Amino acid sequence: MSRVRRLLPVVATVAALSALFLFGLLRGSPDRDIPSNFLGREVPNFDLPLYERYMSEFGPRLTLDEVLGRPMVINFWASWCGPCYEEAPHLQRAHERYGDEVLFIGIQTQDRDARAAGRAFINQFGLSFPNVFDGDSRTSIAYGLFGVPETFFVHADGTLHHKYAGPVTETILSEQIGALRR
Amino acid sequence: MNVLRRTEWPYTLALLALVCALALGSAAAQERELDPRVFEIGRELRCPTCVSESVGESNAAIAREMRVLIQEQLDQGANRAEVLAFFQERYGDWILQNPPMRGLNLLVWLLPIVAVLVAVVVITRLLRRWRTAAERPIDVVDPSDLDRVRAELRGGLGDGAGR
Repeated sequence: MSRVRRLLPVVATVAALSALFLFGLLRGSPDRDIPSNFLGREVPNFDLPLYERYMSEFGPRLTLDEVLGRPMVINFWASWCGPCYEEAPHLQRAHERYGDEVLFIGIQTQDRDARAAGRAFINQFGLSFPNVFDGDSRTSIAYGLFGVPETFFVHADGTLHHKYAGPVTETILSEQIGALRR
Repeated sequence: MNVLRRTEWPYTLALLALVCALALGSAAAQERELDPRVFEIGRELRCPTCVSESVGESNAAIAREMRVLIQEQLDQGANRAEVLAFFQERYGDWILQNPPMRGLNLLVWLLPIVAVLVAVVVITRLLRRWRTAAERPIDVVDPSDLDRVRAELRGGLGDGAGR
């Protein structure tokens, strides 16, 4: 009995440390799960230069406040980011599927002096939705971005419904856009 | 195939060294333009794209941009608390190296204190027990223990004699 009592604190400590270790292993990458601080709030406005191919439709710059009024998918990407190449075809297909009902906006960010690389990225996937250049990454900071890619699903009134960190898939896009349209 | 002749190597190396020195000097000059307070405040902010680095220490592009942003805010008259609040508003408590003492964050502050208190209690009790054991006279023996030892000795001797 006394031996059990003596061993109890040791067993309890080992069990607690093991549980902590397992928790650390199982919870995955914590940084990917951080919810945006703008959930349910209006996302910050931005006014950024557009790539040439979109200028005929939107003019030289895109201002978020001026295009509010329909659900939006705002996707942050960079030309050096591998997963961004993975998700770009899904974004283009979703844009073609939803047409004018949902506004897709691409923001090239954390990619200073890489307009040529950005242009190549857009051409590679034939992105027909407007893409802007956040040369000094200020919009990325304004949105509290942790990395690229990150995608913000925004209601027509400009409030944030959901932020997804990592490459989006067709399933994620249809789920989140479905929620925006409900 | 030798692209450069032997006599051209020293000049090429000297030119390369000069280019490197200019590049490093230019980067250092850019950092020197920032107020030391920028780095102090930057050290209180986590770099969003780095692992275990602060905005004040990191050389990541986003951290450099955040330092410029801090400088701009200081130039506009913002104080340390206002700059930290600016980033907290966008990134949440995550961005702060010292999370505020509320909610789950309280655990981060309280657990080490609790752990130290528990350790002090355990060590004190152990020391007291060891001191009591050391101070107890050797001749004070529980009679029942004595009887048990005598019985075991008798049994042991008996076994040995029988062999």
